[in-house]
Amino acid sequence: MKFLVRLAAKNLWRYGRRTLITAAAIALGLATYVLLDSMLVGADEESVRNLIWYETGSARIMHPDYWDERDRAPLRHVIEDPQSVLDAVRSRDVAATPRTTFSGELIVWRDPFPEDGSLLVHVTAIDPETDGRVYRFDQWISDGRPLQEGEPGVILGSWLAEDLGAEVGYPLIISARSRYGARVTIDAEVVGILNSPNPVINRGGIFLPLDIADLYLDMEGAVTQIDLRFADYARVEAPIAELEELPALRDLSIADWRLLGADYIAMMEADSVGSGIILFLVFIIAAVGVSNTMLMTIFERTREIGMMRALGMDDRAIRNLFLIEASGIGLIGAAAGVALGALGNIPMVRVGIDYSAMFRTMDAGYRSTGVLYGAWVPSTFVIAALMGIVLAVIVALVPTRRALRMNIPRALRQQ
Amino acid sequence: MKAAAIVLMALIPAAALVAQSAEEIITRMEQNQVHDTSRMEGRLIINDRFGSRTSSFISHARGADDALIEFTSAGERGQKVLRTRDEVYLFYPDAAELIRLQGAALRDSMLGSDVSYEDMTGNRALLDNYRVRLTGEETVAGRPTFRVELEARSRNVAYPRQTIWVDRELFVMRRAEQFSANGRLLKEVEVKETMEVSGLTFPARMVIRDVLKRNSSTEFVIDTAEVNISLPRNIFSLESLRW
Repeated sequence: MKFLVRLAAKNLWRYGRRTLITAAAIALGLATYVLLDSMLVGADEESVRNLIWYETGSARIMHPDYWDERDRAPLRHVIEDPQSVLDAVRSRDVAATPRTTFSGELIVWRDPFPEDGSLLVHVTAIDPETDGRVYRFDQWISDGRPLQEGEPGVILGSWLAEDLGAEVGYPLIISARSRYGARVTIDAEVVGILNSPNPVINRGGIFLPLDIADLYLDMEGAVTQIDLRFADYARVEAPIAELEELPALRDLSIADWRLLGADYIAMMEADSVGSGIILFLVFIIAAVGVSNTMLMTIFERTREIGMMRALGMDDRAIRNLFLIEASGIGLIGAAAGVALGALGNIPMVRVGIDYSAMFRTMDAGYRSTGVLYGAWVPSTFVIAALMGIVLAVIVALVPTRRALRMNIPRALRQQ
Repeated sequence: MKAAAIVLMALIPAAALVAQSAEEIITRMEQNQVHDTSRMEGRLIINDRFGSRTSSFISHARGADDALIEFTSAGERGQKVLRTRDEVYLFYPDAAELIRLQGAALRDSMLGSDVSYEDMTGNRALLDNYRVRLTGEETVAGRPTFRVELEARSRNVAYPRQTIWVDRELFVMRRAEQFSANGRLLKEVEVKETMEVSGLTFPARMVIRDVLKRNSSTEFVIDTAEVNISLPRNIFSLESLRW
């Protein structure tokens, strides 16, 4: 065996150019696989983070009947006494903030807006004092300032503001229904533009102080939801189980971010199938390249196989020799591929790839506004390296067996 | 004595005004405008920044609650809107689809007009929903009218405040303004023509403006009307939408 390994190593050195070309094909395929996987995993991780930080929180407390009608943002299923719930939740060191979401019509008029128009919207009323404990908006206000209690100010998502032609200081009207069904209008002024990393917020976010919504919508202190943020924002099972024991939450329900962001989770699951297919295709392309090169390598050496057999080397030893050579090529290719992938991944993790032009016009479902960053996934590097070696051995097996089945004179005549 | 006669003469119009209480005025107006049953053919003329377009319709109604509107113009032929006491349903013949409008969908405008679907709901008698107050007499479009202020009795009425100008002689609405809870004018209705059928006078052409949406108006025209007629059974049922 030692002899075979030494001979294989000599052969790899002797056919240096061929070894390099074959290993390069493997390396290129594996590096592509590593980088693609890094980008997909990175996009998913960032999307989940942005979903929780800007859209859903870790979890939400609401009236049990609210969830089924959430698309209509009804004001009839509310938390009547939010303060007792907030006190109970905060006693467990969980950050919490009350919010009211309601549907309405946003009305803008020409001068200062470019033209008259109206838009059906969902408005989120937030408590300016406590919202920052759960969400991270304030650092992303690109123009203007955060909301203040008691003023009818509005913060708009940056893409929505751009579409409307809105700027800080512009007046607008929100037409809605009160909790009891009466028509109400809120005359407000744009006080800030929010350019967050979450495209859903940028595309449709409209935020108003909670006390203003309470006054105009006749809420009498009630809110539609209390949003929570846990210490580990994504791990929710244990803290939710603990909160569900609280007497103040007995008649309320808690939904975690996976349920609140179900549209994204569904997209991500569907996307993981698509990503798997893409990775599989990359794998197939790499496999075809590797097998083609390996086939050529072994067919070119049919005469050599015939010679070795004529000199008395048994078929098993010859087959083992070629498989050791193939695994050597696979090892060189895998090492180079993993190294290349790792090198390419450094700028992807640090700098990322800017998709902002695409995400501005297209809703791909990702909760990212532009730059997608890669991620370090150690398991992918291990899988890629093993895949390179195993693939090289498998594709070497068939032509070697075929060459060994030829009779010796025919093999010696092979050009 | 002469002075007393002059004072008496001066007081006569005011006395007439007081004699007609706001409730009586509204009741007489509704007797004219809300029919036990009716069948009408008419048009909606929608004017907005894209121009003017006309949709024709046939409507059947029973009292203040039930109405079935079927559009007959080419673009919307076969589309139906059914209004019952608390709900609105749409039927689209191409999709053979029945939709119950809820929540934000009720705020959609009907065929892009200034009338939203939610304007069609909750049309209980005005006196059930509002406290009314006669606040004077004014001339509207050359006609003497009573000006009646309406204030919602409860918090679940869509328009918490309204002002209606009712024709002093015909007891038909001449003009209306509807306000939000915080006093912003939301809609204006101007009656341009009236129609008399079977001794009942009601608006035959009116212009509705959603004040929040500038540069648009909807003209509601009734071409023919029959009132207090017999209507097919179950016409205001969901099955009727699929006929």
